[in-house]
Amino acid sequence: MSAYSLWVMEFAAVPNYPLSGLVYGAHNQGTRKLPYCYIVIKGQGQVAMVDVGYNHKAYGEVLANTYGVKGWHPPKTVLDEIGIAPEDVSNIFITHSHFDHMGNIEDFPKATFFMQERELTKWVWTMSLERRFRWLMLGIDPADIMRVVDLARQRRLVCVDGDRADVLPGVDLHAAFDTHTWGCMYVRVRNDLAANSQDSFIFCGDLAYTQENLRGFDPNDPEYIPVGLATGSQFNLVMTTEKMVNLVGGDIQRVIPPHEERLKDLYPSRITKNGLRISELALADGEKSQVY
Amino acid sequence: MPTAEALSHLVDDATVVYILETHRHFEDLRQVASQLAALLVLSAAGSRESTLDHPMLIAAAQLHRDATDGLRRARPTLRARRHNEHVLAAASHLADALSAANRVINSDDIDPILIPLRAGYAALREAANALPGFELISFERACCGIHLPNEVKPA
Repeated sequence: MSAYSLWVMEFAAVPNYPLSGLVYGAHNQGTRKLPYCYIVIKGQGQVAMVDVGYNHKAYGEVLANTYGVKGWHPPKTVLDEIGIAPEDVSNIFITHSHFDHMGNIEDFPKATFFMQERELTKWVWTMSLERRFRWLMLGIDPADIMRVVDLARQRRLVCVDGDRADVLPGVDLHAAFDTHTWGCMYVRVRNDLAANSQDSFIFCGDLAYTQENLRGFDPNDPEYIPVGLATGSQFNLVMTTEKMVNLVGGDIQRVIPPHEERLKDLYPSRITKNGLRISELALADGEKSQVY
Repeated sequence: MPTAEALSHLVDDATVVYILETHRHFEDLRQVASQLAALLVLSAAGSRESTLDHPMLIAAAQLHRDATDGLRRARPTLRARRHNEHVLAAASHLADALSAANRVINSDDIDPILIPLRAGYAALREAANALPGFELISFERACCGIHLPNEVKPA
């Protein structure tokens, strides 16, 4: 009995991304496909998402021509594959403020956006620093900040301060401060709606890019290895990984990194006519599969 | 910052000089836009951090003055003329936004700041599209952008 249908929707990809960027210290170990994805959570009369992807209108051409990002498609096209329109989305949980996770705000005109207040206030603090600290701003699009201003004026921005349970029935937000970014958060869906859930999924944003962040390179001797980029600290990333894994009862397959191509090996999936993958993690009662 | 060698494959030497000369001023204007937007976010979101007399506003005004002075001193080549026009337009819009911020940063009506701020940012984007070597987001070292050292593509 699942309360929500859960899909991971690819909207673009980098075919050859260096593994060293995904797993700390994995230098000279080749490249891997890096899909860009967002998550759809549908059920209980709601459609929610985790992150919204990047803004193709603003810099899609630069990303395509200069940074090798391929196959971008807009939310309207991507979501249509599972019978959803952007206007249907009521709640969006932004895991962190990087361009590829929150750039598409404008495509969801009816949604309320949730993000950690610390992510906002630390933006401001960082921007007040001298030029030599500009590394701290990497991945941030100033235009996204202006879009957030509009959200706030339209009363469609909810600043969360720490953890918040049941933001939707069975959906919890968890803060992961000073990790990948200052105010990261991850989303837990308790798909049995139980307080002591036995059927949870974690949508971790960039707190993990790949399974190796969750179990290391030797499945027989697992270890946590943080992602390649921490604005906060690698220590906090490792300890957050432990919390996330514990929240899914130790089953790391239920911690879902949106940049992990190998979700296809763990969950049913299909490739759309546009060459994008849809992975189906769960189906709510009565919901039809979108991958078979 | 793009290297002169990388740029020299794309534009003439005089334009390379112009790019290297104005690159920092472009980034400073981007920073001014970011700072103004960030203050507006705090104000609009009702954050606990006060926007009253925020030192960042003073810092943004100083940065804007320095960048604008530098841009006015630059000598654009024919190839760089469009970039120069856009970046000076951005500086002008941002001046309007800063001036409005000093009047209405804490008021309910932030349009006098937001409208020129958006126009300024749009002009910066046009400038970035007009010449190689200028970017509004630091993709090259971002976590989900491919890392291509010193590579610059034609605008």
